[in-house]
Amino acid sequence: MILQSLQIALESLWANKVRSFLSMLGIIIGVGAVIAIVSVGSGSSQQVTSSITNLGSNMITIYPRVARGQGGRIVGENPQEKFSIELAAYMEKFCPSVTQVIPVKQVSGRLIAGDINVNATVVGTEPEYTAVNNYEVEKGSFISNNDNQERNQVIVLGSQLAEDLFEGENPLGKRIKLSYGGQSYLFEVKGVMKEKGGSLSGNLDNQAYLPLAVSLDILTNSDYVSSYIAQAASSEKAATAVSELNNFMAKVLDDENQEQFQLMSQDEILDTVSSVTATMSIMLGGIAAISLLVGGIGIMNIMLVSVTERTREIGVRKALGARNTHILFQFLMESLSLSSIGGILGIIFGWITAYFISQVGNWPLVVAPLSVGLAFGFALCIGIFFGLYPAMKAAKMNPVDALRYE
Amino acid sequence: MANLLIQVKQLKKSYRLGKVIVEALRGVSFEINQGDFVSIMGPSGSGKSTLMHILGCLDYPTEGKYFLSSQEVTQLNDSQLALFRNQKIGFVFQQFNLLPRLTILRNVELPLTYNKVSPPNKRELAIQALEQVGLGDRLQHKPNEISGGERQRVAIARALINHPSLILADEPTGNLDSKTGQDIMQMIDKLHKEGNAIVLVTHEVEIARYAKRVIHLKDGLIERDEVIA
Repeated sequence: MILQSLQIALESLWANKVRSFLSMLGIIIGVGAVIAIVSVGSGSSQQVTSSITNLGSNMITIYPRVARGQGGRIVGENPQEKFSIELAAYMEKFCPSVTQVIPVKQVSGRLIAGDINVNATVVGTEPEYTAVNNYEVEKGSFISNNDNQERNQVIVLGSQLAEDLFEGENPLGKRIKLSYGGQSYLFEVKGVMKEKGGSLSGNLDNQAYLPLAVSLDILTNSDYVSSYIAQAASSEKAATAVSELNNFMAKVLDDENQEQFQLMSQDEILDTVSSVTATMSIMLGGIAAISLLVGGIGIMNIMLVSVTERTREIGVRKALGARNTHILFQFLMESLSLSSIGGILGIIFGWITAYFISQVGNWPLVVAPLSVGLAFGFALCIGIFFGLYPAMKAAKMNPVDALRYE
Repeated sequence: MANLLIQVKQLKKSYRLGKVIVEALRGVSFEINQGDFVSIMGPSGSGKSTLMHILGCLDYPTEGKYFLSSQEVTQLNDSQLALFRNQKIGFVFQQFNLLPRLTILRNVELPLTYNKVSPPNKRELAIQALEQVGLGDRLQHKPNEISGGERQRVAIARALINHPSLILADEPTGNLDSKTGQDIMQMIDKLHKEGNAIVLVTHEVEIARYAKRVIHLKDGLIERDEVIA
């Protein structure tokens, strides 16, 4: 009976090709939109994820929290004054999932080259900084261990900073002045970094890099660094590394509640990003689902018209022995065919749309089978749901009245 | 009693038209034997359409009993009634009532698809039925591609395909010119001669006289039951 109803349904849809297509359009657009939107969402989030991963290899940054005070005085110890260089070495030793820890001393100063001056973040650090940040030298070289030991007053510039200060001239070997804390210091430009963009520690291209020892002993006359950058052994071990570092810092700082320090890992940022994109996907998917619903209402509308138009046909079929279930199935099959053909066309349409958007946005084409299945299944449900009322109306018709209908 | 096909006892049918209750049938009783050819005649409003709908198992009477092939039709439910229509009755309508989108062949096959078990050789049976009415060469035509008389012949083929106990013809010549109408009546007469029971509803005397018996209805009652020699 089902096969036979299907045949009748397809014949009647074929007889009204244009109308059938128009009533399918809602479903086509709905299904297509669901698939395209979900695909664009996951494609773009994959792109963002991979560019975040690209920022640094499994970086974890450890910051001191801002000291809390009471009535103008700092109560207890200032957490900042526990972040020593030595601690970095201990971290490497006691946290097996961490391969290396780089202390960083970061200050804001003014760089002056000739008659140009630029405010910049000046980062005192060690040679490994480049490896941890996936950061490469464009010209010259980065800070070396020797520079740290000798307290050489050399500076390496981020690409944007080099451009701002020297405007296309070769800065290598040039001298620039760093103005910090009311004093001026003279530095020789040792290298220029490649363009990199944003990272966990801000936009690297706008920063300048000094030997850590120089920024501690000469610039700030301090024993404490502003943060540590730790590198986990692998991305699988990143979570373990985070908990090891947490435990270590809590013990060393005698700070069970983690009030004095804060860890920030790539995973957390990835989590944030993926939760943002997930929210976006759900929202847009919801909009698409509403358009599917509207498509379903369109189908119901057409089916009601079709039932009325074919009242006489229903009467004839009943007179020839069609039972109510035959008629019910015939019309249900018709709406189901509309929605499933619409669904298939929608999948194709959504796929093509997703492909073009991914080409424009330059991210991978990701069409999740789940979203395809879900959209198609939803379309079928809509076909049944919105087809049921017209089909029942047709099935319940009185044969005498139906035969008399003009 | 062995060859009794139809027995109706005190059939009454009333329906509501707005606030007025119309009594279309007010107590009709008669019997029809197998192989009979009976005309039901009457002016419009006499209740002959209502009677035909009840005889055709399309409608229930308000009161009274209707036996077809010894089965009390008034006790069947909707889907049993549908099966009964399918198996026992062949309809020939004034408006032909062919489905315009289907070919003639598919139209004739239609009752077979609603059989309890759809026969595998539907197509052959339909072709046979169409050959019987002389349309074996028009199988793939649509109803709007053939003449009115041919359409009515298709309807007759469709009525015959399930070998019904009763052929119900409702004004079968009403939409045809008199020449074609005569052809159709001759075909119906031939069916009668082949042993089919036929009930013909009409308001035309000449058409009614093809039958062997004419039941005259007036105002929902049998006015006269006349046997034509």
